[in-house]
Amino acid sequence: MPPEDRPSVAGFLGSVALRFRLLRETRFGSFGPVLLALAVIWLWFGITEPAFLSPRNIYFLFMQSAVVGTLAVGLTVVLLLGEIDLSAAAMAGVCAALLAVLLLGGTPAPLAILAAIALGVTMGLAQGLMVVFFGIPSFVVTLAGLLGFQGLMLKILGIQGAINMRDPAVRALTTFAFPPAWGWGLGIACALAFAAFALHDQMRRRARNLEADSVAALSGRIAFIAILVLAAVGTLNNYRGVPLLVVVLVALTAILGWITTSTPFGRSLFAVGGNAETARRAGMSVRTVRVAAFGIVGLMAAIGGIVGASRYASVSFNAFAGGPLLLEAIGAAVIGGTSLFGGRGSVWNAILGALVIGSLGNGLDLSGASAADKLMFSGAILLLAAAMDAISRQGANFSRGGDAA
Amino acid sequence: MPSGNTEEAGRSDAPPHLLVTGVSKRFGGVEALCDVTFGVRRGEVMALVGDNGAGKSTLMKIIAGALRADTGSFAIDSEPAHIASPHDASDLGIRIVYQDLALCENLDVAANLALGTEPVKRGWGFLPHFLRPLDDLAMEETARDAIDRLQVRTLHSVRARVGNLSGGQRQAIAIARAVGADSTVVLLDEPTAALGIVQTRQVLDVVKRLRDTDHAVVYISHNLRDVFEVSDRITVLRQGRNVAVYETAQITPDVIVAAVTRGLEEAAADAA
Repeated sequence: MPPEDRPSVAGFLGSVALRFRLLRETRFGSFGPVLLALAVIWLWFGITEPAFLSPRNIYFLFMQSAVVGTLAVGLTVVLLLGEIDLSAAAMAGVCAALLAVLLLGGTPAPLAILAAIALGVTMGLAQGLMVVFFGIPSFVVTLAGLLGFQGLMLKILGIQGAINMRDPAVRALTTFAFPPAWGWGLGIACALAFAAFALHDQMRRRARNLEADSVAALSGRIAFIAILVLAAVGTLNNYRGVPLLVVVLVALTAILGWITTSTPFGRSLFAVGGNAETARRAGMSVRTVRVAAFGIVGLMAAIGGIVGASRYASVSFNAFAGGPLLLEAIGAAVIGGTSLFGGRGSVWNAILGALVIGSLGNGLDLSGASAADKLMFSGAILLLAAAMDAISRQGANFSRGGDAA
Repeated sequence: MPSGNTEEAGRSDAPPHLLVTGVSKRFGGVEALCDVTFGVRRGEVMALVGDNGAGKSTLMKIIAGALRADTGSFAIDSEPAHIASPHDASDLGIRIVYQDLALCENLDVAANLALGTEPVKRGWGFLPHFLRPLDDLAMEETARDAIDRLQVRTLHSVRARVGNLSGGQRQAIAIARAVGADSTVVLLDEPTAALGIVQTRQVLDVVKRLRDTDHAVVYISHNLRDVFEVSDRITVLRQGRNVAVYETAQITPDVIVAAVTRGLEEAAADAA
């Protein structure tokens, strides 16, 4: 940092930015800022609104954040490429509408769900193909998609504009909760699996004489995850148990998280997002990766649509395409620390970002804030997250001579 | 061309490891390369020199598979080979270090060194290759070995993000990327262009180390002092055509300058 030639406030900001960046660049540290934001919000509302931290409210907080979280996880994948998908919420709406119409017509639930997912993936891939083969910016393609899919949703829903969802199988996705013993079992299994993977990795690193984390960092990480998971399970068990929805979303996020960080496909996502020309020269199929990423958004949008249909017990235009869902989902991804410039981010952070947005809305509701206040607070939080992203990028640039890449 | 042929004949005991013949490439109305022949043996540094627009970089990109030639054939150890993509070139052991380094700054050193050829763990054959788990540890080991070979002492961790490294360290990573894998041909495009004196010396040492490890090294440079220090032979291109191939030990920089600027006739006259 060169603090001499700038005012002290900027120098201070610069050093904060540098710390931030160093923090974020550790494998686990990227969770830091969003976890801190979540902790501050929970602490604040926990003090001002005693009902906020009650097991019942936490349970509903998770359920409320589910649709936003699902979309945010999908959006993270295209954001990693430096692209954007504005049609995610509209796609979710179309898929939910198709699901509702099919169920109304007597189609068995599994078949209707598969059809909705297939439609979502198709819509996503189609937009990806437009971006890749016609070279239209993704912002424009998906803006067109947003408008077109909103219309398509209205068309599928028909004149009444809303369809009720009574199918027990679809409703069970958001109404079923595991009995407490099952919840504990799942939670302990998760924590043990994480610990086993971390220890196994550490032992193999030692055996092959590679850089390994310090024992303190390793045990701290395991303890942290274990406490987080078990605290969540305990809280949820105090109300109705661990909801099926939470288990499904965590499993989906784990799979996508694994794909994005630990497979050749995921590596090419980061490589293309970091430097597409380099990825192309290295022999990666940049086009395929781009199209696939949009397909994944379509898939997650479809799942988000199904989750939403199940949760609201109805499919209406305003709950999906017409409401704030899209912007909340993009906001969640950005608050989670995923860069809009590509190359940095994590699907787990998107879930945490969704929880931040959900907590803020839920807490402000509890404290009787008006819709106007909620919107302004959400805007402020998003701005704060984007500022953190921009400052940590600047930190990275300063350290190598202000040369923006 | 004539002098090139006589040299090949004079050293028939060492046929070129990589040989490209009859390469032509047009960009619209511009003829970038016309019937160019180029060969490099293992354990030698072949410098490729020529003025701006002589076709050096085009030839380099064609060998690396980044561009496709309009005509031309490739041979590795006299076996016909096919290079249509970076993957083909990589499979044949051909690696390129681009002038702009071509690194992903958001990834760590190990990931950059393995980019495009990431190893995957065994036992996941039921998954398609692009979804099998990456073998991070193998990547880090390969990276550490490559870095150790190049003796980049300032680099402490292969898990450091490339965006946080200095220019010299990045150059080293870019070269290590070419050497780290099972490469036999290394193409270096102006590797010292942006470096200071000390760093240039380190890079030239690295190039010599590549020759000593039996690599076929192709070295593009404008800097004739570097070329004469490091190369065994020199191929001169002019306006997309072969001018000549020289044994570095038998000529002076003046001959090269003449060949680069005026072409074969005068250059041959000078050499005689």
